[in-house]
Amino acid sequence: MRIFEYEAKELFKKNGIPVPVSALVEEPSELEKVLIDIPGPWVLKPQVLFGARGKAGLIKFADSKEAAVTGAEELWGTGRGIKKILIEEKIQVQRELYLSITIDPGKACAVIIASAQGGTDIETLAVSGKKDILCEYIDLDIGIMPFNARKTAYGIGLDNGLISQYVSVVTSLYNIFEESDAGLVEINPLFISGGGRIVAGDGKMIVDDFSLYRHPEIAVTGERFEDDLEYEAFQKGIPYLKLNGDIALMCAGAGLTTTVYDLIVDNGGTVANYLEFGGPNYTRATAAMELCLKSLSKVILIVTFGTIARADVMAEGVVKAIKKLKPKQPVVTCIRGTNEEKAEQILKKAGLIPLKDTEEAVRTAIELANC
Amino acid sequence: MSIFIDKGTAVIIQGITGKEGRFWTSHMKDMGTRIVAGVTPGKGGQRVEGIDVFNTVSKACAETPVDASMLFVPPRFVRDAVFEAMDAGIKKIVTVAEGIPLHDAVRIRKAALDRGAMVIGGNTSGVISPGKAMMGFFPYWIERVYRPGNVGIITRSGSLTNEVTAMVVKAGFGVSTLIGVGGDTVPGTRFAELLPLYQNDRETRSVVIIGELGGTMEEEAAELLTAGKFSKPLVAFIAGRNAPQGKKMGHAGAIVTGGKGTASEKIKALRDAGALVAEKPVIVGELLKQALKIQNKRSQRNG
Repeated sequence: MRIFEYEAKELFKKNGIPVPVSALVEEPSELEKVLIDIPGPWVLKPQVLFGARGKAGLIKFADSKEAAVTGAEELWGTGRGIKKILIEEKIQVQRELYLSITIDPGKACAVIIASAQGGTDIETLAVSGKKDILCEYIDLDIGIMPFNARKTAYGIGLDNGLISQYVSVVTSLYNIFEESDAGLVEINPLFISGGGRIVAGDGKMIVDDFSLYRHPEIAVTGERFEDDLEYEAFQKGIPYLKLNGDIALMCAGAGLTTTVYDLIVDNGGTVANYLEFGGPNYTRATAAMELCLKSLSKVILIVTFGTIARADVMAEGVVKAIKKLKPKQPVVTCIRGTNEEKAEQILKKAGLIPLKDTEEAVRTAIELANC
Repeated sequence: MSIFIDKGTAVIIQGITGKEGRFWTSHMKDMGTRIVAGVTPGKGGQRVEGIDVFNTVSKACAETPVDASMLFVPPRFVRDAVFEAMDAGIKKIVTVAEGIPLHDAVRIRKAALDRGAMVIGGNTSGVISPGKAMMGFFPYWIERVYRPGNVGIITRSGSLTNEVTAMVVKAGFGVSTLIGVGGDTVPGTRFAELLPLYQNDRETRSVVIIGELGGTMEEEAAELLTAGKFSKPLVAFIAGRNAPQGKKMGHAGAIVTGGKGTASEKIKALRDAGALVAEKPVIVGELLKQALKIQNKRSQRNG
């Protein structure tokens, strides 16, 4: 689950990581007071969960109140779903650093990733061949020791005068990472101000979805999702992605669904949505098809090869779902696994053509989509 | 001898009294798995499927020698259950639960590495040596998938494994041991840690890897090949070549992060290391035949 920058910075502040003075505004009427409370010049940062806001021209700088108001209006008017804007004091920056903490799945540790070069994203850093990047591994059961933080600070070549501030920032960030069950916490850029203060310029955080039950403080609301349907699917516990093609996938098993996706694209087709109702969801064909019908599609393609999911139960579920929801588009079925002969009979009886081969099902779906 | 589990492996079931535990215990027994005890706190003294239930793992281990533990435990209790098994000295553990908290998974793998134990999963169907034994939930009765033979299979998926393995069997092969490492971000055991077991397994003549986008397990397998630590024929299928950028494809671990883990990078790494990579499941069987031919020629030349 992605956490907004303003939420991450509130956590930073609570844990002693310096952040710029800021306020959150949601509508123009709130601007005036904020621009009095926070002395200019200002930075205007839309609170959205997609990355590379700067590159997209969505971070605005303003020297005057008029410029700030215009900038905010521009952001609200972009049509990119911007609601909340974080208004911050503009920090006089001497240097920009990079700092993040994530998991190393192989070593089974947390890893602090630090660089004296901030500003660029981690993707670019990773591709750059790890030059200037320092990795410090932390055993979760031991936790961070002061020496881990010192090694990082000296490792990226900080001056003596900055070491204790930096050690405190790294330690606090690690504590946030650990306590929030995060998959990633990132401060990029981490500013060194003109006055020699270390300040978090940004805050990115991803909390592990499987750990949300331990974090009632994180409200799972629609604004954390790129699409309303993806939010609805999350609430129903069905993995779902909204895409904009012709064929709605209603498959079982993540790997198989991903493979069907590959085969559709290979054969020149397009996908309307990725939906996977395998595992514990295999009896929920109606809920799955309801979601499929909400994205515009020309064909619904069902491919399964169950492990625990019984083919006959899935076939029955699909037939029931079709009866109840009466989809206008054709439904292509390829349901295999335990009791597949019985599944075949159920599908035939309901007037469906039970296919046995995944590729044949994919080609059939594409042909129907092109009709 | 198979890898990880054989007819003689003494298995206990943690969470044996639950619905899933009961159901799959009966199937595991039916298939030939040697189940020696069950554990559920508070249910000590009961019997399930003719198997004695104990309150703690250590009590079960005191009663009978134990080689491995199979967990049917909900995700939030998995960490406790795995540590209990390791505390009792068990070195082989399979956990099928989907939804283990990320930091719990990290702690589990770290502890296993430190103690020389092997934890398979979570979010997997488990381990099966067809015709012998299994720890997990596989529909072993589907003959066109779970046929005994000499191909080792390691996979991150469930249904896709049926799809691909059916192609392996269709081509006339069978399976020695199939291990699902699971679809999570931090699986307890990684591909490159399993390949050396298959290398030493006399029943395995070749291996099929079923991977997908996300993480670096396929790249690590390629490194092992390049280093000459795995020399049997290797065929791979990697899902997610056309996956949209930055999206999680069903499994928690199936997402490209930090610019790493695209399917095309994995395919390239494996091909560069000498593996044959199938573009789609249907050609896996054919590639397996090719890989074995190449191997035969090579050994003739060297022999």
